[in-house]
Amino acid sequence: MTTDLRISNISKIYPGCIANDNVSLQFKSGKIYALLGENGAGKSTLVKILSGVVSPDNGEVFLNEKNLKLSSPLDAKKNKIGMVFQHFNLFETLSVFENLSIDATEDNKSLRVRINEILKKYNFSIDLDVPVLNLSAGHKQKVEIIRCLLRSPKVLIMDEPTSVLTEQETEELFISLKKFCDEGILIIYITHKLKEVLSLCDEVAVMRKGKVVSVSQTQNEKIETLANKMVGQKLAKIKKKINISKNKDEIFKVKHLNFYSDDPFETNLVNLNFSVKKGECLGIAGISGNGQNELFQILSGEIITPDTSIIFRNKEIAKLNPKQRREYLMAFSPEDRISQAAVPELKIYENVALNNFKSSNFFEKGLVNEKKIKEHSKKILSDFSVNTDNVELKSQFLSGGNLQKLILGRELITAPELLICYNPTWGLDVGAINYIHETLIKINDQEKSTILISTDTEELLKLSDRIVVIYKGKLSKIMPSEEVTPEKLGVLMGGGSID
Amino acid sequence: MIKIEKRNDVPMVLYFFTPFIAIILTILGGGIIFYILGFNPIEALKFYFITPISNLYGFSELLLKATPLCLIAIGLSFCFKSNNWNIGAEGQLTFGAIVGGGVALLFYNQEGFYILPLVILAGAIGGMIFALIPAVLKTYFNTNEILVSLMLVYVSKLLLDYLVVGPWSNPEGFNFPETRQFNDSSRMPLLFEGLRIHAGIFLALAAVMLSWFILYKTYLGFQIKVSGLSLKTAKYAGFKGKTMILVVFMISGACAGLAGVGEITGPIGQLHRMISPDYGFTAIIVAFLGRLNPFGIIFASLVVALTYLGAETAQIFLQIPKYIGQVFQGMILFFLLASDYLLFFKVKILSLKKNELRH
Repeated sequence: MTTDLRISNISKIYPGCIANDNVSLQFKSGKIYALLGENGAGKSTLVKILSGVVSPDNGEVFLNEKNLKLSSPLDAKKNKIGMVFQHFNLFETLSVFENLSIDATEDNKSLRVRINEILKKYNFSIDLDVPVLNLSAGHKQKVEIIRCLLRSPKVLIMDEPTSVLTEQETEELFISLKKFCDEGILIIYITHKLKEVLSLCDEVAVMRKGKVVSVSQTQNEKIETLANKMVGQKLAKIKKKINISKNKDEIFKVKHLNFYSDDPFETNLVNLNFSVKKGECLGIAGISGNGQNELFQILSGEIITPDTSIIFRNKEIAKLNPKQRREYLMAFSPEDRISQAAVPELKIYENVALNNFKSSNFFEKGLVNEKKIKEHSKKILSDFSVNTDNVELKSQFLSGGNLQKLILGRELITAPELLICYNPTWGLDVGAINYIHETLIKINDQEKSTILISTDTEELLKLSDRIVVIYKGKLSKIMPSEEVTPEKLGVLMGGGSID
Repeated sequence: MIKIEKRNDVPMVLYFFTPFIAIILTILGGGIIFYILGFNPIEALKFYFITPISNLYGFSELLLKATPLCLIAIGLSFCFKSNNWNIGAEGQLTFGAIVGGGVALLFYNQEGFYILPLVILAGAIGGMIFALIPAVLKTYFNTNEILVSLMLVYVSKLLLDYLVVGPWSNPEGFNFPETRQFNDSSRMPLLFEGLRIHAGIFLALAAVMLSWFILYKTYLGFQIKVSGLSLKTAKYAGFKGKTMILVVFMISGACAGLAGVGEITGPIGQLHRMISPDYGFTAIIVAFLGRLNPFGIIFASLVVALTYLGAETAQIFLQIPKYIGQVFQGMILFFLLASDYLLFFKVKILSLKKNELRH
């Protein structure tokens, strides 16, 4: 039996923003549909309407020509619309089976039988009796999917499902999704990753500013055409710069970096050695969870490891804390911009004061020099085109892209000799990504160096002069980036070896 | 089904307004309790909240009780703002009183203008040292400061017990568990003839001003604020986390020590077993009722001091045990936490209302 889902003239207005503006879309089972758009384009609102979390101000949803009243998530479940959110709704301390049995209507015995059938059918290997906290993100997502499958859904909506997955897990997910599709489940795949749209989906609807701007067959699209539709303007394509750093001095050198942790959630680092030349970008690739967190914290001075030697501009800095390292003109942009690089409850100028380098005079003789901090903050806001000029604004009201610009601005205004950044464009929209990439290239053009720790291979290939891969806490050989192909990188990131 | 959601933006006006709601609810709750106990609630509440401060003497008593509460709460606000949970201010108060009292006893037969400052200083240092114990254990051995500081309360109280019964007991005191009376040179000067309010209140006011300055105008205050909001960020910014823990505990201990020394050199005039009606614990309520804000704490310490006084009048006029005061203090804390909860989260009943759940 085919499923036919029709969204008709849906509008949703929030105070100060039109989230969905007269959206009409049609989906038929047997195909995988992509819903593509930047952050804030209105995809999430639409999905929330479909899953009953939000009700629209206007418009209707039809499933097989039946008008659906979706006023709560329960209604969506009743109508066989399943939904896997980006953030998992699982009880970490309960076992997989307990999580699945919470909202089940049958007895445990038959439930277990049905779960096992699903596991077998789709080749999932999950131990039902381990606590969820011991599962990888990919497995947690599978548990969420099983939860949907138990209700034999007609429609399965996946919201940015690959943001937490490794490449391999992503591949597995795609295989499963194609299987579900063949079995007649209608799949709506929400993403802002263009490549995934092209490799997985049959049809793509692009949303921008609350409106559907295009619906097309993916076979007729390319990355560039989709990107242009999504952003609404022709993107200036960033050129990969020429490798100019062959005979430059090494300004940053790490020797014998070892890190052992008792915490099972941390990765041990084993004898890392590398160096960065002046004006160079060293890319550190890897699937997340292979030691990047620990490496970043050691490079920034948040963790001090004994016996490590870190030479920066001919000085030994391994024992210095982040503030002291900043005085030597290093700068850091951590992955977690929301709760580490900035404090959401603090005002913009207070967040700027976190980078309290000596010549800033933010705190003279231990006293706050508010005027100075605010002047400085204003300069950052305008120099780095942050979308506000109000330094009193709490940073929680900045969008991801603007927050990242603020953080980079704060770190770069000291004209550091070395910037270490970790997933600087994670979760940002194309416009912001472009801006940040341009900024990072500009740094290298000014003969300053960068270390780019990233899980995004495209970004690494675009920006790095040399690339090294981290896998299970060990580094691969360092390679000039013109010798590196995405395939090669993929093999190394998955733990394989080349040549 | 009930659903609880975090509110995205809490207006600051409401944030400072909820303590007043908590106080009003406490008064209503108190009225209900009096009614159940068989009293006319209006009359009883009048005895509790109005009678104690209806004359000058009562007002002076209010300030007298508010002084140590304010001092301790000011100190605690440094700890609480930076995510350090010092629960043992009562112990730091006691130890400060022991050290300060010890110095006062040393000078029991001497006179001089320098004696009182010495005694006060000794009290502050005593509190500071005692607060350093949980701080050092926390920074260097990862112990939990809540447990350590709380358990140390009993250590200091037993030490005081031992001293007043044993080595420091008054040789002319017929074996009563108390020390000699302090010399006038180590007593806080009284502000008015016939009233017990003493110069210690200026210490509290100075602490308010100084703490406001430190918290809002200095680098230390900025570090305290950031660490309280996000330890991850504090680490990333390169703040010296260990030093800061030690500093906030020292400030907090010194304030509690001052409160203790203010009590023994003020209204009490000697050391004995009962130098504090749990001011150190009640000050925790004061700190939160005052929103950890120096000026808020002044206001909160007056309100909570009134619950002490009211309990005494209730005991006299209504023959209710004065422990009713603790009931009122408990209610203040309960209603404050409850209204905070409703301030930061919204509760939705899903099945009854068909309203949408906005993100």
